[in-house]
Amino acid sequence: MEQTELVKPETLDDLIKILHKIFEDDHVNIEEVQSIMEAYESNPQEWMKFAKFDQYRYTRNLVDEGNGKFNLMILCWGEGHGSSIHDHAESHCFMKLLQGQLKETLFEWPDRKSHGDMVQKSQRILLENQCAYINDSIGLHRVENVSHTECAASLHLYSPPFQQWHGDMHTGTPALHGSV
Amino acid sequence: MEVFSRISEGNPVLNLSRLQLHGLDLDHVGEAQKKQIQQVYLTYNSLTLFPTSVCLLSNLEHLDLSNNSLKLVPDEITRLTSLKTLVAKNNHLDETSFPKHFGSMQIESLNMGGNRFREIPVQFLKLSKLQSLSLGGNRLKSIPAEIGKLSRLEMLYLGGNMISCIPPELANLSCLRYLVLCDNCIQSIPPQLNRLHALLSLSLHNNLLTFLPREILSLVHLQELSLRGNPLVVRFIKDMTYDPPSLLELAGRTIKSHNLPYLPRDLPANLCSYLDMASKCPNPKCAGVYFDSCVRHIKFVDFCGKFRLPLMHYLCSPECSSPCSSNPQSDAESEDEISVPVDRLQRVLLG
Repeated sequence: MEQTELVKPETLDDLIKILHKIFEDDHVNIEEVQSIMEAYESNPQEWMKFAKFDQYRYTRNLVDEGNGKFNLMILCWGEGHGSSIHDHAESHCFMKLLQGQLKETLFEWPDRKSHGDMVQKSQRILLENQCAYINDSIGLHRVENVSHTECAASLHLYSPPFQQWHGDMHTGTPALHGSV
Repeated sequence: MEVFSRISEGNPVLNLSRLQLHGLDLDHVGEAQKKQIQQVYLTYNSLTLFPTSVCLLSNLEHLDLSNNSLKLVPDEITRLTSLKTLVAKNNHLDETSFPKHFGSMQIESLNMGGNRFREIPVQFLKLSKLQSLSLGGNRLKSIPAEIGKLSRLEMLYLGGNMISCIPPELANLSCLRYLVLCDNCIQSIPPQLNRLHALLSLSLHNNLLTFLPREILSLVHLQELSLRGNPLVVRFIKDMTYDPPSLLELAGRTIKSHNLPYLPRDLPANLCSYLDMASKCPNPKCAGVYFDSCVRHIKFVDFCGKFRLPLMHYLCSPECSSPCSSNPQSDAESEDEISVPVDRLQRVLLG
C-alpha cells in the first residue's frame, strides 16, 4: 500500500532544506510547496532575527537566497501597513503567515473599458500559519495588515526569485510592484 | 514562584508574559535587584487590577501590559520617574482611567491601542516629552486642538476610530513624521496640514474624503500616502452651482480691488470685519477677491507624479480658470483623459 509522506518541517531551517530539495527539480508541484509551507508551525525564536519592522511601511527581509529558482523572504507589516494592488511579474508567489493576520483582496486585471474602477474578485483574512498562493493568471492582489494593534509577519517564496531590488535589499522598496 | 525564577542576576528585562497571572508579587525581589530591572513585559495575562508592585522598580523604563483586562491606572505610576515607554494595548482603559498627575511623567512613547477611549485624555496632552502616541482602534470621535502642544511628537497613530474632522492645530506638530488617520469618518483635510514639513507618511485610506485641499500639493516630499477607500471623485467635474454675489459682496469687492482705505471711524465695526475677511482669488491672473460667493471647482491634478487627485479650490467667478494645472494643455473645459499615457493611468488606477 502506498502512503504519501508529508514531511513536516520541524524548524525553519528544516523548511528551507526541504524547499531546496523540492526546487532541485525543474518541475515543482504548487500544492506540495503550499502544504509544506503550511505544515511548518511558526516559531518566532527562529525568525525574529530577520524581522526588522519599519515605522512607515512594510519591509522585505531576505531569509534564503535559494538556488536560483526561488528565494525566501520575510515581510514585516506594522499596524495599518498595506501594499498597493500589484501583479507578480509572471512569478509564483507563496505567502505564509508567521504572526498576526493579513487581509488579501483579489482583483481582476483591468481592461481598457474599466476607466479606473478595479473590480474586486474576493477578499479573505489569512490566519497564522496559513499559506496563500498567487500568480498572474489568478489576478492582482492587495495585501494589508488591517489591525490597529497587532503587527504581522509573513514568509514569502517567489519562483523565479524576486530579483528587482530598488533600494536597500533588506528594507526593500518593492518598486517592482508599483509601490504606494 | 514563577516570577522569582524569571529574574536572573543583572538582567534588566523581566518577561512575565503569558503566565495566566492575576497579580504580581515582587516581595521576594531584593532592593538591589529591583533597581536593575529596566523592562517589564506582562502581556497576555489575566490582570484585572494594575500591578502596583511594578511601581517599586525605580529604574523602570519600559512597561508593557498589553492584552489584560485593566480598567484603571493608579496614582502610584507617577513614581516611575524613568518610565519612557508605556504600552497597554487591548485592555479596558478609557479617558477616565488615568490619574491626575499622569501628565507630568517623562513618557516618550505611549501605546493605548484597542481600548475604550472616547476622547484623548487631558493628561496625555500634557506629556511634554511625548514622541509617539498610538490610540488605534478606540472610540475617538474627535481630535482636540490641544494636540498641537505636543511639540516633540513624531508619530501619531489614530487609525480605526470614529474621527470626523481634523483640527487645524494639528499642523503645529512641526516634528511629526508619521500620521495615521485611516479607517475613520474624515470628510475633509484642513489645508493647514501643508505646514507639516517633517511629514514622511500620511495614511488616509478608508475615510469619507471626496476631495483634497490644493495646499496638499506642498507635501511633495511625502514617501507614503494612502488614499484608497475614499469616495474621491475620479473624473473631472465642474460644479455649476453658482450663487450670484450679494450687493454687500459686490460693494466689498469694489472696495478691496480698488484699495479704497477704510477705518473704524468710517464704517460700523461689522462692516470693517467683513472687509477684512476678503479672500484673494487663487487665480494669479485675477486680482479679484471674494467673500461668501465662490465657485467650487474640483479638478483632477497631477500630484507627486504618481497620483491624480481631485483638488478643491475656490475661484471668484466661473470665468476664473484654474491656475493649478501641471499639464498646460488640460483646460477647465477638458474632460479628455486620452492625453494621459496608458501606463501612467494604470499606475494611478492600481494605487
